[in-house]
Amino acid sequence: MVKISVLQHAPSVHLPARPGDPTPTTRNLDPLMHPFARARERNRALNAAKMDRLFAKPFVGALEGHIDAVEVLCKKPGSLSAVASGSWDGGIILHNVSERKHIRRIQGAHKGKVSGLCFAQDDRLLSCGVDSKIKLWDASPQDDITEQRPLNEYPGKSAFNSIDHHRSDPLFATASNIVQIWDETKSAAISNLTFPTSTETITSVRFNLSETSVLGSIGSDRTFTLYDIRTGKAERRVIMQMSSNALAWSPTFPTNVLLASEDHNLYTFDVRQLKTPTHIYKGHVAAVMSCDWSPTGLDFVSGGWDRTVRIWKEGQGTGPEVYHTKRMQRVSSSIFTADARFVLTGSDDGNVRIWKAKASEKLGIITARERAAIEYRDTLKDRWKHDNEVGRIQRNRHLPKPVYQAAKLKRTMLDTRAVKEERRRKHTRAGESKPHAERKKVIIVEQT
Amino acid sequence: MASQSLFVKAQNTTLPKSLRPTSPPPENVPKHKHVKDLKLRTKLNRQAAHAARSKALVEDAELLLTSEAGKMQVETELERTWRIGQDDIVQGAGEEAAKGRRELKLDGGPYRSRYSRNGRHLAIVGSMGHVATFDWQTGTMHAELQLQETCRDITFLQDQSFFAVAQKKYVFIYDRDGVELHRLKAHIEPTRLEFLPYHWLLASVGNNGFLKYQDTSTGHIVAEHRTKLGACHTLAQNKHNAVLYLGHSNGVVTLWTPNIPHPAVQIMAHLGPVVGLSVDPGSGGRYMATSGQDGVVKVWDCRNWKGTVREWTTRGGGAELEWSARGALSVAVGGSVNVYTKPSIQTPHSAKAPPPLYLTHPIPHRPLTSVRFCPFQDILTIGHNAGLSSILVPGVGEPNFDSTEADPFENKKARREREVKGLLDKIQPDMITLDPDFVGALAPPTKLTTAVNDTHDIPFARLPRLERLRVQGKADETELVDDDDEDAAAEGDGDKNDKPQSRAEKEKRKMRGKGKSLKRYLRKQRKNVIDPTAVAIRAKLEKQREEKRVAKAIETGQMEARKPSALDRFRRP
Repeated sequence: MVKISVLQHAPSVHLPARPGDPTPTTRNLDPLMHPFARARERNRALNAAKMDRLFAKPFVGALEGHIDAVEVLCKKPGSLSAVASGSWDGGIILHNVSERKHIRRIQGAHKGKVSGLCFAQDDRLLSCGVDSKIKLWDASPQDDITEQRPLNEYPGKSAFNSIDHHRSDPLFATASNIVQIWDETKSAAISNLTFPTSTETITSVRFNLSETSVLGSIGSDRTFTLYDIRTGKAERRVIMQMSSNALAWSPTFPTNVLLASEDHNLYTFDVRQLKTPTHIYKGHVAAVMSCDWSPTGLDFVSGGWDRTVRIWKEGQGTGPEVYHTKRMQRVSSSIFTADARFVLTGSDDGNVRIWKAKASEKLGIITARERAAIEYRDTLKDRWKHDNEVGRIQRNRHLPKPVYQAAKLKRTMLDTRAVKEERRRKHTRAGESKPHAERKKVIIVEQT
Repeated sequence: MASQSLFVKAQNTTLPKSLRPTSPPPENVPKHKHVKDLKLRTKLNRQAAHAARSKALVEDAELLLTSEAGKMQVETELERTWRIGQDDIVQGAGEEAAKGRRELKLDGGPYRSRYSRNGRHLAIVGSMGHVATFDWQTGTMHAELQLQETCRDITFLQDQSFFAVAQKKYVFIYDRDGVELHRLKAHIEPTRLEFLPYHWLLASVGNNGFLKYQDTSTGHIVAEHRTKLGACHTLAQNKHNAVLYLGHSNGVVTLWTPNIPHPAVQIMAHLGPVVGLSVDPGSGGRYMATSGQDGVVKVWDCRNWKGTVREWTTRGGGAELEWSARGALSVAVGGSVNVYTKPSIQTPHSAKAPPPLYLTHPIPHRPLTSVRFCPFQDILTIGHNAGLSSILVPGVGEPNFDSTEADPFENKKARREREVKGLLDKIQPDMITLDPDFVGALAPPTKLTTAVNDTHDIPFARLPRLERLRVQGKADETELVDDDDEDAAAEGDGDKNDKPQSRAEKEKRKMRGKGKSLKRYLRKQRKNVIDPTAVAIRAKLEKQREEKRVAKAIETGQMEARKPSALDRFRRP
């Protein structure tokens, strides 16, 4: 007797039980059932990369109000929307970023430019200027948004370049030709911090966010200096090849500090090892004027003299996201917002611009299905990034012609220099000169 | 100094419990110990673990395949499955399955047929111009046309909503309701049609010997290949690499891709015209079956093309062929259809005897012009002079379909969805190659073009990154597969104890010398032909070998060296 059975599909298994139910689906993962699976996945990755570029519209809006170039921006700790900006005309504006409105507008807060801004506790704002004055302002929303009078005024001896508030105590630090620590309740500085042999102008000073009594400063003498207010003196400093324009402490990894240098690069240092930077971030084609960490500590933003804003991933020294517009001039200040989703930049054209931190991110409510699709696309992009075509689309950024040409020229010059160096070495006695790693060249000397 | 106090230890972070994998961690995962960068190593390890885990899960997923394949099993040695007739099979089949046995009596034959990819819809065409498409399970007719001219072939496009007919002069595309949408004037006198579903290409071959590819999503002609082999009446596609197989009237079988203007492979398959051609989808396109007017059916191994795996003679001239999804081959020749099954048909067999028969079915309406297996069913549809017959062949259909690829039960919405997804995933025609896995494979290591004997004059600063790493000794080449290594591994035992040799070293040690060329000459000569040069060379080699043996024996002291004598001067060198 022969056993016979013939394949049949039971419709009850494959059709919805009741009208309106979803149709049941079945899977068979046998690779023979899925011809061209790889080619199709690559195609999807290619589409994902293209869509990513297609939807890359990072510019959200501009906050107007300043008459002259914006010099400094600062965000209010613990607030998502309050941001203060100071300008070369001496005006200070407090913005509500989410509503794009002014909370306060202070005309002529300082004579000359406002060089530093920071928030103090209890909704107050500290500003310093080149008129050698520090002023304390009330930053709470009021009926008359153009209220002019400061709460307090601290006179200084020389022009101030930067100001930063202590994380928890009513203390703040200013940078002029020395670093000074002030108490909010006292009218004179409570201590002066300076490296013994230093005669430089301090351009920026920042408190560490975790080890709150430590602060770092950068100066015109190409230095980066660490101070401790408990000992009341400078602990250590390094002298670099070129001076830095801005510094920022990492919010998540307290020993990491980021320097925006005049030599077109950004450097991260581990302050325990100041001999070499941990990373060099190359991309700008002119001096980097400002930098700020994302609150996650994974990204940071930098604005440069080359009229571009770049968003970097921590630990990835090349290929940053580049933002630019036709009208944006030299970017003198840039900050991340507290939700890490937006970037604010202040530039010489007097505008504060709002950008998305991820260029192609969709704003607004995203459904679960959409979210799943986005995540799938991200995975595909990551998996296929080594494919020539997918990778090229992902990496490629359109640059303004001057920036592009400058980058090209710079690359040529650096290449030529390296080749020349190598040829020179080839024709000198063996062992006469050794090539040095790029990171070893940055620091000239470390002093304690 | 503050440096000690600055350090703050980060808390360990872990995935939330709900997101952690439930299966135990896989074993034998590569550890990437050679990678120095801790971050990269961790990433690679995590990826490897993830890959291993998903592989295990895929294996587990086979448990979820619910449907069972059909079968015919004999209990004793004396019984034969081919003795079972259709009546018995229909009796043994379930009610739903028994519907598959049908006879369509139609005028205007002979008929050809084609199933849609999900096996739900059938398109038939008679040579006198009768065209019909219908859902064969419910019996709903979509379109029925009397075209009043010769029609040679029919195929569905991406699904049942469009079909193309090879008519007397051109190819025409109709929609589901039979409305003529396009007349493809580029395809002249077509004889056979194939649709490549993942590339959205409609391919036709005709009496003028041109193979034409037309993109049905954009309408462009993608490629026109002149075969230079005359009228062609046989066309088949390999479902796994989208290569088209043509059988020509001089017995040649050629393989074509859109991006090369000549055949990728050309084999002399038969002594007369090639009549039937089919590629096995059940083994990833590894086997091809051809049949010729000379009455021979041949099964070829497409990996090396070294002769046939199996061949046998049939009675009644050229046979129509078709492989099923699970690797059963149907041969329609003369007045009957024979079905052969898998292991026997793919195992090499020197005698020219047919493989053991699985099932046979006589059809008294000659000629038999087409055989088609219905996807996901145990049904074989034979087109013949008096219409079409569908017979049940237990065990040939794939029981478990995948809804994302082809679903016999899909509704309107799912069909639309899949059409859009299919368009988005359309693969470019120039990606068709014999090996479809080249996508995403490692690129071969690049070579500097200006290097002479591996030395070049490029400064370090201008070298590509990989070359720089190589110079610095930091390049990680563990993933590179050296083709020489495989040879060495195959060769064997002697070298096993030695250190692994680099490619350059191997190249250096390769035996090169006078002896080799002589040996090569001998190897290339036919053994059974007596050629004076070959005889001389053999003698010379023998002499050299003898000399070597003597020299070795003298060295080891087994033999004494012959003392030189005065008569040596008269010896021939």
